Amino acid sequence: MTAIRDSYEALVRTFGNVLFAVLLFVVWGILTMIGVIVDQGKDASVYFSSYPAAIARAILRLGFDNIYHSPWYIGIIGLILISLAVCTFKRVIPARLPPLRPVKIEKIPLHAQIELRGGEDDVRARVERFFSSRGWNVRKREFDGTEWSFADKHNWARRGVLIAHLGFVIIAAGTTVYWARGFSGDAAIVTGQTVQIPQTKAFIRLDDFRYTIKPILTKSGMVYQPIDYVSHVTVTGNDGIPRKMTVRVNHPIDVDGTLYYQASYGFATQFSFTHDGKPVPGFGDVVLKEGEQVAIPGTRNALVYDRFVPTVDKSSGMPSADPRVNDPAVVLSMDQSGANLGSALIDLHTPIALGNGWSATPQRYLLYSGFQYRYDPGIPLVGIGAMVLLAGLVISFYFLPARLYARVDANAERGTCTIGLAATTVKGYDIFETQFRELVDELRSHLEPPGPSPHLQPAEAF
Amino acid sequence: MTGHLQADELLMIVAIASYVIGALALIAYFFAREEYLRNLGAPLVIVGCVAQFAQLIVRYALTGIWPLLNLYGSLSLFAAMSVAFIIFFAWRYKAWYAAGFVVAIAAIALAYGVTWNEGTMPPVPSLQSYWAKIHVPIVVSSYAAFLVAFVFSAIYLVKYYAEQRIAGVKNIAAEAVSDVGGVAVRLTPGYMMASAALQDAGVAAQPMQVRGETPALEAAAAAGNPMAQWLSSLPTLSQLDVIVYRAVAIGLPLISLGIITGAAWAKEAWGAYWQWDPKETAALATWIVYLAYMHLHTRNAWRGLRTNWVSILGFGIVVFTYLGVNIWISGLHSYKV
Ligand code: HEM
Repeated sequence: MTAIRDSYEALVRTFGNVLFAVLLFVVWGILTMIGVIVDQGKDASVYFSSYPAAIARAILRLGFDNIYHSPWYIGIIGLILISLAVCTFKRVIPARLPPLRPVKIEKIPLHAQIELRGGEDDVRARVERFFSSRGWNVRKREFDGTEWSFADKHNWARRGVLIAHLGFVIIAAGTTVYWARGFSGDAAIVTGQTVQIPQTKAFIRLDDFRYTIKPILTKSGMVYQPIDYVSHVTVTGNDGIPRKMTVRVNHPIDVDGTLYYQASYGFATQFSFTHDGKPVPGFGDVVLKEGEQVAIPGTRNALVYDRFVPTVDKSSGMPSADPRVNDPAVVLSMDQSGANLGSALIDLHTPIALGNGWSATPQRYLLYSGFQYRYDPGIPLVGIGAMVLLAGLVISFYFLPARLYARVDANAERGTCTIGLAATTVKGYDIFETQFRELVDELRSHLEPPGPSPHLQPAEAF
Repeated sequence: MTGHLQADELLMIVAIASYVIGALALIAYFFAREEYLRNLGAPLVIVGCVAQFAQLIVRYALTGIWPLLNLYGSLSLFAAMSVAFIIFFAWRYKAWYAAGFVVAIAAIALAYGVTWNEGTMPPVPSLQSYWAKIHVPIVVSSYAAFLVAFVFSAIYLVKYYAEQRIAGVKNIAAEAVSDVGGVAVRLTPGYMMASAALQDAGVAAQPMQVRGETPALEAAAAAGNPMAQWLSSLPTLSQLDVIVYRAVAIGLPLISLGIITGAAWAKEAWGAYWQWDPKETAALATWIVYLAYMHLHTRNAWRGLRTNWVSILGFGIVVFTYLGVNIWISGLHSYKV
C-alpha cells in the first residue's frame, strides 16, 4: 500500500515540477522541429532518395514521416496535459494564491524599515491609508498578538496562469472533438461532372471553373502570377434543393455545416481509342486526370496521362513556362507491368500507336477543380480556448500581483515606531525592485512631511 | 506614377541611411558612453523608423497592394517594428546603449529584404484575404520583440561572463603568487589588466550574487580597469534580465495571436485551421521555446543565466522560422509560390 502511495507521490512530484514541464516542452519542440525538417506524408521512396538508407529506415520506423500523428507526438501532448493538471493543483494554486501569513521581514530581499515618531495605532492607520489611497487592497490580521497589515495589488491577476492553462486544455479538447466526430476529404470534379460526397451525401456538380493568370515582367524575368481561381457549382444538400454557388480561394461555401474549399485545379484530357482502326464499343471516350492511367485490353500495357502542357514553345517544341492555354499538348507515357517504357509530348488530336493495333488520341482538355471539404465541430472550442489562452498570457505578463507585508513595532523608550515593510511578487523580486524603492521613498516622505520634524534618521536596508 | 515611386524610393534611402549612421553612432555610444553620440544616434533612428512606416504607407497607396505579402515587405516591417520596439525600450528603460545593435540587425534585415523587391506584384489568390492585413503584422512584430530580447540577452551574457572571468581571474591571480607557471599560460592582455586591477584593489573573489550584482566587475572598475568600468556602467544583471522578460512578454502574446490569426486564415483559405505546414509548425516551435522561457523564468534558480540562453536559442529559431523555412523548406507559406 505504502509502495503504491510512494510511487503515486513520486509521480505527482515529478509531474508537478515546472522543470519537468519544461523538459516536456523541449521534447515537444524537438518533435515539432523534426516534422518541419523531414518532409511529411511522402512515399517511402522519397525518404530513401533524400537520406542515407539507415536514416530513411529510422524515419519510417519511428513514424517521423507522419510525426504529428505519431504516438510520440500525441503522447507528449498527453503528458503535457497531465503535467499541467497536476501542476495547476499541486503547485500553481498553492503558490499563486497564498494565504495571509506573517513573514520574517529581513529575510525577504525587498524590505525596508522606517522609524518615526508617533503612536503605534496612529502610524499603522497612516500606513494603511497610504496604501489604500494608492490602489492597494489592505487587509489586517493578528498573529500571536502582533498585528500585520497586508496590501495587495492586482490580486485577481494571480489567476492569469490558471486562465492560460485552462485555455490550452480547451484547445486540446477542441482538437479531440474533431478527431472523434469530424471528417475531411477531397474531391476533384471535372467540368460538367457531378460527384457525391461520401460522408455528407451532398451532390456537387462543377458547372464551370475559371482561373486568371497574369504575366508580370519582374526584375528576375517573366512571372506568371495566379490572380484568381473560381468554381461555379450546383450543390444539393440535405434539403434536396439544388443551389448555385461560387467557391473561391479564401471564400469557402458552407453546405449543411460542412465547408468546401477551393484547393487546386488541373486539366483532365478526354481520349478516344481505336483498335485496328475501328472504335471500340465501351472504350470510346476515356477522361483521365493528370497522373491517371488506363489499361489497354488484352495487353500488359497501360497508357499513362502524365501531365498537361498548356503551351508548347513553338521555336523549341518544348513545354513553355506559360501556364495559360495557348497551344496545348499532353505528356503521355507507356507503362508495362509497372515499368515505364518512355514518354512523349503529344499535341491534341494527334493519334499515338500503343501496339497490338491499339491507338489513342487526346481529343480535348477539360478543366477540373479540386475541392477540400471539412466538418469540424471542434472549431468553436478551439477558438474559445485560443482566446482564453491569450487572455491568460496578457493577464500573467502585464499585471504583476504584488503583496506588501507591514508591521509596526513601538520603541517605547524612544517614543518612536519602526515600520517593517517587505514585498513579494509572483515573479520574484528583481522585477519589483524599482517600484518598491519608489514606494518606500514615497511612503517615507508622506509620513515625514518636511518641516521642523524630529531629527530621526530612517533606518533602511535593501 | 513615377513621382510616387520616387517618393517611395526616397523614403527607403532615408530609412537605410538613417539606420546605418544611427546604428554606428549608437554602437559607438555603447562603447564610449559619450552623450553626443546618443544625441546623434537616437534622433536618426527615430527618423529612419518614421521614414520606413511612411514608405510602407506610400507603397500601399501607390499600388493598392498590401505591401507585406512578400519577403521584401515583410522584412521591411520587421525592421521598422524592431526599431520601433527598441525606441520604446530605450526610452522606457534608459537603454539607448543597446539600440545600436538592434538597429544594425534591422538595417541588415532591411537591406536583405530589398534584394527580394520584385516590383509590384498582385498577390496570389490565397494571400487575397483581410487576414493578411492582420496576421502578417502581428507575427512580424512578435519576431521584432524577440530580436529586442535577443540583444538584451546577449548584453546580459557578456556582462555575466565578464564577471565570471574577472572573478575567476582573481582566483587565478591569487594562485599565481605561488605558482608562476599558472601565469605563463594566461598571459592575455585582458587577464593581465584585470588581474593587476584586482590585486591593486585587494579584492577577494566572490561568488555571483543572487540579485544579479557583479562585485568583481565593480571592484575591477573601481581599480581602473576600463573594460570593467564600461561593463559596470551597464544596468545590473537583474535589471537586464527584467528587460529581456519584458520583451519576451510582448513577443509571446504577439506570436500566440499570430498563430491564432494564422489558424483562422488557414481555416478560410485551406480548409483546416492547422495543416502542419512547415511554416506554422516552425512558429509553434518558436512559441514552445518562449513558453519554456516563461516557465523557467518563474524559477529563481533558472532566472538569469539560463533563461537568457533560452532567449538566444529562441531567436535562432525565430530566424529559422522566418527565413530558413522559406529558403530550405517548401510549403504552403513559401513566399515564392
Ligand atoms: C502548454 C501550455 C501552457 C501554457 C500556455 C502555460 C502558460 C503559463 C503562463 C502564461 C504562466 C505565467 C508565467 C509568468 O507569470 O511569468 C505559467 C506559469 C506556470 N506554469 Fe504554465 N503553461 C503551460 C503548460 C504548463 C505545464 C504543462 C505545467 C506543468 C508543470 C505548467 C506549470 C506552470 C507553473 C508551475 C507556473 C508558475 C506558477 C508559479 O510558480 O508562479 N504550465 N504558465
